[in-house]
Amino acid sequence: MVKKVPIGPYHPILEEPEFFELHVEGERVVGIDITIGWSHRGIELLSEHKTWDQVPFLVERICGICSCSHPYAYVKAVEDLLGIEVPLRAQYLRAITAELERLHSHLLWTGLAGHFMGYNTVFMWTWKFREPVLDVLEAVTGNRNHYAMLKVGGVRRDIPQEEIPNVIKMLDELEKNNAMLTNAILDDPVIHARTKGVGVLPWDKCREYGALGPTARAGGYDIDARRDHPIDAYDKLDFNVILCENGDVFDKVVVRQLENFESIKIIRQALKAIEDTETGDIGVEVKEVPAGEGIGIYEAPRGEVLHYVRSDGGNMPIRHKVRAPSFNNILTNEYSVLGSTVADAGLITAAVDPCYSCTERMGFVDTRTGERKVLTEEELIKLSVEKTERIRKEISQGKRLRKS
Amino acid sequence: MDKEEVKKRIAERFGEKVRIGERSPERVYVYAENEIWVDLADFIFNELDARFDTGACVDDRDGVEVMFFFPFDKEHYYLTIKTFARKPNPELDSISNVIIGAKWIEREIFEMYEVNFRNHPDLRPVLRADTRPKDFYPAKREVKDDHEPPRRRDDGEERADEVFGKPPKGKNP
Repeated sequence: MVKKVPIGPYHPILEEPEFFELHVEGERVVGIDITIGWSHRGIELLSEHKTWDQVPFLVERICGICSCSHPYAYVKAVEDLLGIEVPLRAQYLRAITAELERLHSHLLWTGLAGHFMGYNTVFMWTWKFREPVLDVLEAVTGNRNHYAMLKVGGVRRDIPQEEIPNVIKMLDELEKNNAMLTNAILDDPVIHARTKGVGVLPWDKCREYGALGPTARAGGYDIDARRDHPIDAYDKLDFNVILCENGDVFDKVVVRQLENFESIKIIRQALKAIEDTETGDIGVEVKEVPAGEGIGIYEAPRGEVLHYVRSDGGNMPIRHKVRAPSFNNILTNEYSVLGSTVADAGLITAAVDPCYSCTERMGFVDTRTGERKVLTEEELIKLSVEKTERIRKEISQGKRLRKS
Repeated sequence: MDKEEVKKRIAERFGEKVRIGERSPERVYVYAENEIWVDLADFIFNELDARFDTGACVDDRDGVEVMFFFPFDKEHYYLTIKTFARKPNPELDSISNVIIGAKWIEREIFEMYEVNFRNHPDLRPVLRADTRPKDFYPAKREVKDDHEPPRRRDDGEERADEVFGKPPKGKNP
């Protein structure tokens, strides 16, 4: 008999509301019903009541982490409508802000994943390494989050020339720390046991569900909007798209950790470009937006963000559609969580790095008794931590072979 | 697949039931009639091997313009397919049965703009609160900007009314 175990809607395993109803037979998950919409704020309609220049401030509040990615996709949509190109210096400044955002987002997720598995050392390390990135963002943009950096036609402010050595110093430190962290994670037998073969989302399922970002790349689905639909300076920057092939939670960790190195590489190149030019235009003036439509795409840390705008020639968009990557990625849990245990379910749903504010609960039902149970965030994390402890003991007692 | 090849194959397959346009080298548009909507999406996704991204719609006086985005990543362009679902009862066949990833976006378009997707496996509202009235579609152009949707009142509010008096009529029905 199938039991239903609800996780959520508030604080399921992450920091925002979402409701997952797991259908379980014993410990095994046999079905899932996902309910989103708990943080629905009507951003699209709000946006249609703001002027073209006010919208970036609104859309950067869609998500605290992607507060550069959403404005980036929005301004690119308007620039697509206008058919304009922004000055080169502004293009590099946009790339620097966006890649700094990717660094702090990936570090934040790795820390949370460590916390869910009972590895609070990983949590504390990564969040410690993340702080200097936020400090640099503050020095460069004026804010740790909600940077208000991008505008239609360019960026709002230039990086002070004297800040560039500080940014380079932070990148050098972070590169060493990220290498240490990556090696520690990739060498740990308990992390291997907890994440390898767990929550597998293969290539064909990534395509069917429209998975995006690290979730897709972990399954070998070779997509990255920065390379496939290059905008601004990205076609002048050299970087690799990190691909794995198994699509499990382990590969999702690997993709994000290795992408950090690529982001560091991109920022270094962009900094060198703006250091060499010293000064230059950082924006073009946009006086009016004609009637038409535009599509803006940017590869946010969680995957590709798409904004669609329609203008009737007035000073506000008549339609603004926002598609955050989590909207596609959370749906993939329909497949990846099936067959897993309840202790792994939280980790799998968290592995897509879901942004519920962008998208928007979890419950269990026992199919044999029909019993319904609600798990709190603490209970779910406790289940996951207990499993890690059990594996750790088995490995230390030699009952379990080390995977490599 | 090469852009010109894609345009040619779509034109060959659907003939006069589609109009193909190009706004820039990275943006290709295909305007389709309702009856071939699912076949067109199926053809682009499964035979032309495009990636499915998402959908959107624009509410107009006479109907709702529904569009889906299919990027061709290796060739660096976006193909958008569009159709028009006429009012007063905008309806379209669901593409969710050929592209699983379209399930949620069709549910969203239905609950926001009242576009009924026929044969959708599960056309429940995806975003709105349970307290929202069933026949209220908030993004429709017929909904006025100052519209205040009716809210469900719980026992606490009833009790507050007893203590503080009822709120002004029409503000909080």
